[in-house]
Amino acid sequence: MRFYILVLMIIIALLIQVTLLNFISIWGVKPDLVLIIVTFDAFLRGSREGALIGFLGGLFEDLAVGSYIGMNALSMMAAGYLAGLTESRLYKESSLIVAFLVWVSSFTAQLINYILLSMMEVYIAPGVAFFNVIMPTAAYTALLALLFYRRFLRSNNKGLLYTDKI
Amino acid sequence: MIGRNNTRKIVLLGVLVIFMLTLMNYTRFGRIGVSPMETALKDLFAPVQGLVMNLGHRLRGLVSFPFALVNMADENQLMRKRITELEGRLRQYGELQSENERLKKLLDFKTVVAPVMGYDLAAASVIGREPGNWFGIITINKGAGDGLKPNMVVVNDQGLIGRITSVSSHTAEVLLITDPRSGVAALIQENRAPGMVEGVASSPGRVRMVHVPIGTQVNKGQVVVTSGFGSLYPKGIPVGQVMEADREPSGLFMSAMILPFVDFNRLEEVMVITGTRSPQGEAKTAQLPYPWGEGKTDLRGRSPGAIRANERYGVAGR
Repeated sequence: MRFYILVLMIIIALLIQVTLLNFISIWGVKPDLVLIIVTFDAFLRGSREGALIGFLGGLFEDLAVGSYIGMNALSMMAAGYLAGLTESRLYKESSLIVAFLVWVSSFTAQLINYILLSMMEVYIAPGVAFFNVIMPTAAYTALLALLFYRRFLRSNNKGLLYTDKI
Repeated sequence: MIGRNNTRKIVLLGVLVIFMLTLMNYTRFGRIGVSPMETALKDLFAPVQGLVMNLGHRLRGLVSFPFALVNMADENQLMRKRITELEGRLRQYGELQSENERLKKLLDFKTVVAPVMGYDLAAASVIGREPGNWFGIITINKGAGDGLKPNMVVVNDQGLIGRITSVSSHTAEVLLITDPRSGVAALIQENRAPGMVEGVASSPGRVRMVHVPIGTQVNKGQVVVTSGFGSLYPKGIPVGQVMEADREPSGLFMSAMILPFVDFNRLEEVMVITGTRSPQGEAKTAQLPYPWGEGKTDLRGRSPGAIRANERYGVAGR
């Protein structure tokens, strides 16, 4: 059940991302809602589930873009896996810690995307990629994560996302 | 030591990575066809995207309000000056219904500019944008079923928007000229100096014109239009205005930052050029409003090139 709810959340997040988020883009940059869900889930459930949900979330994003299918799947899988490694190491009640974790996840995912794009012969100047895309996306995504983490945590502990399976 | 189980996992991960890289390569930008599964997914989500986008337009003011607060102090002073100016104008023009006016402008564009330029047009609404920040792609609510095909050029009353890269039955993806993968053969209208207009990643408000021959007089405010070389973009579509020019690192060419006429953050309706005929002569083209013709206007934000409703062409929109 938890899995299906997460998939539904990712689809809704993606739908918002391709439509409504354009209205709150800052300097042309919008946050990555799917990555927020992936990181939250990985942080609470571990790297195995983080990688799986990251892969699925990324694949949905790829299908929405329609080209370079697999790019976001790989980068989000890696980001989910990395975020999951902190599962038993960090304090789970702090939104600030999670916001920092989202920043790291987003930075990692965007960096992997940049490397994969270079491999596909899409050349974007490193300065432009770093300062126009990677850094602002990571910062904006992390800021937005602050708004949602408590709600996600509550749902994970005793709400719709609660499960006793490990 | 790596256990048998771990070896299996590593091999599986390797296979997955290789498979995804192959898939990425297969689906890399530039392919024309869309797989049946992608078509089904796009068509399934198109109506929902349309609804959510519509909701977004209504909620725009509400959602963007907290962000607008950041620049409120500076804007406040500017606003005070403008209020006086605008009040005068408001008395003259009365209250404008923004959506109504936007649509009228497009209609005027279709009935006045398009026949002179020789374009057959199809109107479409923007129903989605690329979810990430690397590229500039929009999804529109018309597709192969409406006669749209890849490589058709997309414009609005302000100028060039981009070109269609793929179509499903009821949607089409448009590569904006601000996308770093986009290249538009263009020239500076005043001195006919050629160049290539490229997008800059995550900079929806700017494009760069590169490979401009050295020695060309490139000045701020000069208009850049499509050159028609390469036969993809018809000649004479306004792209933007030169903001600043510099010598390229190679020293052999110049490059210029261009401010597009189109406001890419506010794209709601677009026009797809579905066919072209011969333009109706230079004389008529010259009568069109700026930037399509030689009408006079130089202020952004006042819809350069837009023909106001009920205005005859040949009369500058002041």
